[in-house]
Formats: sequence, C-alpha cells, structure tokens
Amino acid sequence: MGHRDIPVLETERLVLRGPEPQDYPDFKATFASYRSRFMGGPLNAYETWMLYAAEIGHWEIRGYGMWMVHLKETGETVGMAGGWFPAKWPEREIAWIIWPDKAGKGYALEAAHRVRRYFYEVRGWETAVSYIDPKNLDSIRLAERLGCRKDADAPSIDGSDAVYRHPTLAQLQGQLGHGIAMEIAHYRDPLFKPKGWALD
Amino acid sequence: MIPTLTTDRLILRAPVMEDAAPLAAYLQGPRSATVGGPFPAGEAFDRLCALLGHWNLRGYGRWIVADRDSNAALGIVGPYFPMDWPEPEIAWTVFDAAEGRGIAHEAALAARDYARAELGWHHPMSAISPSNTRSAALARRLGCTPEGDFTHPVYGRLDIWRHPEQEVRHGTS
Repeated sequence: MGHRDIPVLETERLVLRGPEPQDYPDFKATFASYRSRFMGGPLNAYETWMLYAAEIGHWEIRGYGMWMVHLKETGETVGMAGGWFPAKWPEREIAWIIWPDKAGKGYALEAAHRVRRYFYEVRGWETAVSYIDPKNLDSIRLAERLGCRKDADAPSIDGSDAVYRHPTLAQLQGQLGHGIAMEIAHYRDPLFKPKGWALD
Repeated sequence: MIPTLTTDRLILRAPVMEDAAPLAAYLQGPRSATVGGPFPAGEAFDRLCALLGHWNLRGYGRWIVADRDSNAALGIVGPYFPMDWPEPEIAWTVFDAAEGRGIAHEAALAARDYARAELGWHHPMSAISPSNTRSAALARRLGCTPEGDFTHPVYGRLDIWRHPEQEVRHGTS
C-alpha cells in the first residue's frame, strides 16, 4: 500500500512515522479524553477507530497526512502532527495533537515546525493554515509561537473556528525561524521551565 | 496491497478519490437512512479514507464495487470489522444505480468466497438494520439465517444474519 511510502522525518528529540496499528491505543486514549474536545471529541470506540482509519487513508487519498510523533529515546508516541485536508476544509491545514500526559514539553512545536518545513521544501506548499477552536488557548499560543497570524479574511471550516496563517518559507528564513529553533532548543535543556500557562 | 477481484459484470477494487462523488450522492441521499444517514457533505471523503485505513489496520477491508466496463462505483462490499463490532462481517452497500440488478448479490458472493479462501472465515455474519428489508432479502438469498441482534452506539439495533458454512474454495476466481 501507499502507506509504506510515508517518509520518516526526524528532529533533535522526535521521529515522525506513519500511523501504525500498534499506535492505536494511544490515539484512542486521547480521543476518549477531554483533551479531544477541540477536535470533535470525545468519541466512542467506533468513532475513534474510524477516525484513526481515516487518518491512515488520508495518506493514500491525498498523498500526505498526519504522522505519529515518537520520542527518539524511548520510541513511545506523544501525539500526531502533519497535513490535513478533508473535503470540507477550505485549504490545506497543518494540524497537531499531543497526548494529554505529554503536553508542556514543546513536542508539538518541534513536530509542527518540522512537518511545515517538509511541506514547504519537499512538497512545494506555498502557504498553509491551522484551523483552531477560539477556546483552544494552548493551540492558539502554539500557532503564535510557530509564527502564525490570525487570518480574518480566510474562510473558516464552519464559522466556529479561527484561521491561523502560517509564515511562508521565506518569512521563516530569518529571525522568526531562528527564534523558533531557539525555543525548541530550550526544551532540550533539563533546567528549562516554560513560563506562563501550559504549553503544548 | 489491496487485491482486485473480478466477477462477470463487476470489479472489486481499492477505493480512489474519484469514488467520492458517487459515494457522497449515496450518503447524502435517502437510501442511506438504514445505515444512519442521510449524512452531511464531507462525510464521503472521511469514509473513503476510512475504507483505506481499514485495510491497513486489519489487513482486509471493503472494496469499491465498480462496473467492469465503465469502472464507475456502484457500491461498497467486503469483509468489515470496525471497533465495537461483535465479530467480523461480510458487509454490502449498493448505490442507486445498482439497485435491483443483482449487483450486491454478485459482489457479496465474491467477497464471501474471498473471506473463506483468504481469511478463513467459514461462516461469518452480516449485520443488517431491521428496517433494511432489501438487505435482509439478499441475506436470505445468500443462504443466511437470522441469529439474534446487537445494539450499536451509533447504528442502533442491528440484526445478525449468519452465513451458511461451506467448503473453502481454494484457488483463483
């Protein structure tokens, strides 16, 4: 299946691989939890499994999709990040979800920054957005740390979500990209403690 | 790899993006009422993705049933086992254009043969909504017998139709 062609991406702390059957229990636990409230959840067992199947199928239908984010050191999964473009989406999204007990360590920042670079450099995307529930403050903060700006002119999915426009590849070349890289590097410092509210 | 099966009039093949339009017409139309519909626009894409993901997660799944000549999608048939299902089943769904032509019967036979030969399913079940009388009639035609029901959190009550045990037919079709 085309699924096997999913590229493996690496960062300092993370390995991003295609979603596999054995990763399903971690996904299920998150979508059964309150954590999933901004992503259409919580879902029952049937809905969760179908969504996971759809995450895998998205790779074959679109040629890209959501990676499973693993810690390099232990192999355990901490969440998912990637490109997401179902039928109702006005344009291609860079999306992420981090398991509830893995939040606050900068994994979503590191993973989303990496997949964005892949889409820009390898797949030739010129722009991307993230659709975020206005109440999902952690995700909005993450979008801002990724350099996104709220795009009031862009169509949303159904009017209940805010559109955050990602910086272009050119915009990421300078100070903005350095700042993001520096923040990601901070998380590798065992003494680093993020300031402010809980961060993904 | 998703295998391809052929019958007299049909090809059972992997889902592709082009199947989204006929699938959407079915899901948004009145004929999907017995499977929880009608569904909103956008559902077809998610279902198409989930069809492919099912193959990946289980190693088997449902095919798009297409016209052998035109390759146009006529329905969805095959071995099916989502989470929360009592046991694996042989499932069938046909779109408007396939109604009344024996398409579901022809495809279900091919799928059942495949499930027996390749998956070792000797007498699987099919789960059918009590309101879906046409589907129940097809189950009878396939030699199935009613065997109780179960209640699904999304689909409500579903009747279990048990397929007859038959010899495994090895080899190619």
